[in-house]
Amino acid sequence: MKQLAAFTQKEFLELFRTGRFLILAIIFLLFGIMNPAIAKLTPWMMELFSESLAESGMAITEIRVDVMTSWAQFYKNIPIAMVIFFILFSNILTGEYQKGTLTNMLTKGLSRWKVLAAKGFTVLLLWTICFWLCFGVTYAYNAYFWGNGSVPYLFLSGLCIWLLGVWLISLLLLASSIFRTGSAVLLAGGGVFLLSYLLGMLPALSRWTPIYLFAASGLQAGASPSEFLPAAAVAVLLSAAAAAASIPILARQNL
Amino acid sequence: MDVLELSHVSKAFGRTPVLKDLSFSVPEHTVYGFIGQNGAGKTTTMKIILGLCRADGGEILVNREKVRYGSGRTNRYIGYLPDVPEFYGYMTPREYLALCGRITGMEDGEIKKRSGELLEIVGLTQSDKRIQGFSRGMKQRLGIAQALINSPRLLICDEPTSALDPAGRKEILDILSAVKEHTTVIFSTHILSDVERICDEVGLLHQGSLALRGSIEEIRQMRRSDGFEADFYAPEDAEYFLQLYPQGERLGKTQLLYPGKSRKEMEKAMRILVETGITPQRLEMKEPTLESLFMEVTGT
Repeated sequence: MKQLAAFTQKEFLELFRTGRFLILAIIFLLFGIMNPAIAKLTPWMMELFSESLAESGMAITEIRVDVMTSWAQFYKNIPIAMVIFFILFSNILTGEYQKGTLTNMLTKGLSRWKVLAAKGFTVLLLWTICFWLCFGVTYAYNAYFWGNGSVPYLFLSGLCIWLLGVWLISLLLLASSIFRTGSAVLLAGGGVFLLSYLLGMLPALSRWTPIYLFAASGLQAGASPSEFLPAAAVAVLLSAAAAAASIPILARQNL
Repeated sequence: MDVLELSHVSKAFGRTPVLKDLSFSVPEHTVYGFIGQNGAGKTTTMKIILGLCRADGGEILVNREKVRYGSGRTNRYIGYLPDVPEFYGYMTPREYLALCGRITGMEDGEIKKRSGELLEIVGLTQSDKRIQGFSRGMKQRLGIAQALINSPRLLICDEPTSALDPAGRKEILDILSAVKEHTTVIFSTHILSDVERICDEVGLLHQGSLALRGSIEEIRQMRRSDGFEADFYAPEDAEYFLQLYPQGERLGKTQLLYPGKSRKEMEKAMRILVETGITPQRLEMKEPTLESLFMEVTGT
């Protein structure tokens, strides 16, 4: 436990001292502010462009924005924030292989599974903080401007997107235990994501792929929570399987 | 007692064999010079000892405990200094040593005391700045401190001086000489003067196995003398002596080399000099150096 605690503490120190935590916190905070801000500014922007739009034959009559506009913006923006998050962490293990910093730790007797556990825990915690920061800021502004009372299953849909992130983190760990470069990790992660997307296009499988959790905004449009249960269960199982598989794979790597 | 024992270790990368039936042992409290050309397999051997690389065959014991690939268990007896040690640049030396100490299972009080001692030994007590601003020499010294944090029984140094300037090399060799009282050291290098300076025992790795082993003196005695050299005050003396005692080669106007001649043959030359009344400036037996042995064995 002492080894695990020491290495986890090192991971947190790295997050703060390399500025990664600050960068991600700012990005997710900005996205959180942007969602209601874009919704609020949409009528003004439309009015500003109405003349040029009228010249091209488009007539703007009445623009209505409400809390749903802001939440729709949230579901559009969160994938972008998610991509930035994963790019920033694509070298979480490969960076250590390439620099050789991990060698010193392993030759001190640090178990390889503890390296994965410390890194996985740190990234998971940071994802949780960043995601719910973005969600919370949007929620607070929406509550102030319009009120969230009319939005059904708000936290449940947030939980679905968060769970999708957890699945991606497990893929990140698995790919990092297999490959030696950050670009290979990103490609492998992106490949699995794409595969899940393609499988999701098959009607029989669509509700069973983790990628279906992206459609959780449908909960606000009347979808039933049970619709997302298969995808959530598969995401949990695949996350656990990927995390478990990465341990023996890393243990067999020549470093 | 032997701190490290390698028995019939073999390793190949693809179809290229790197280690072939390699066996040797390192007794306690010695500095073992592990020498060989670049690419001879020194680093691979060390990585196998550290459990970082899988051996294809054979057995390794550290402190009589079997080394298992992928497991860091036997590493609790080992300190490792790579050729270019890499650190977490955002940490200070004290923070890094504290991390290393905690990973090796030391108590906080012990870590603080030991870190202070080691930073003093390696001359980094004044440095509270982050490691990212360190020179290569400072990093190498910190590398030694981290390798010794848990007072290991075996210190493995993989070419620790190869990337350093002469001043940096001297510093590292002085530190290694100082620690050998308490720790057994394996010192891998291709800089033979470093080996001659601090090592008690030597093993020369060539084509995957040990071509030479023993103390430096034993190894020298295994090989014949390189002959003797005679240096005279005047070129005429050199010419006259060459006529009296042929088989010599001219090295210069006043210098002669008698390659492969034994000590007895040099004594014969001395008698000729006394009889003829020629006074040489210098008459010297050419003892085989580690370098000449290395060249002879490796064929370079």
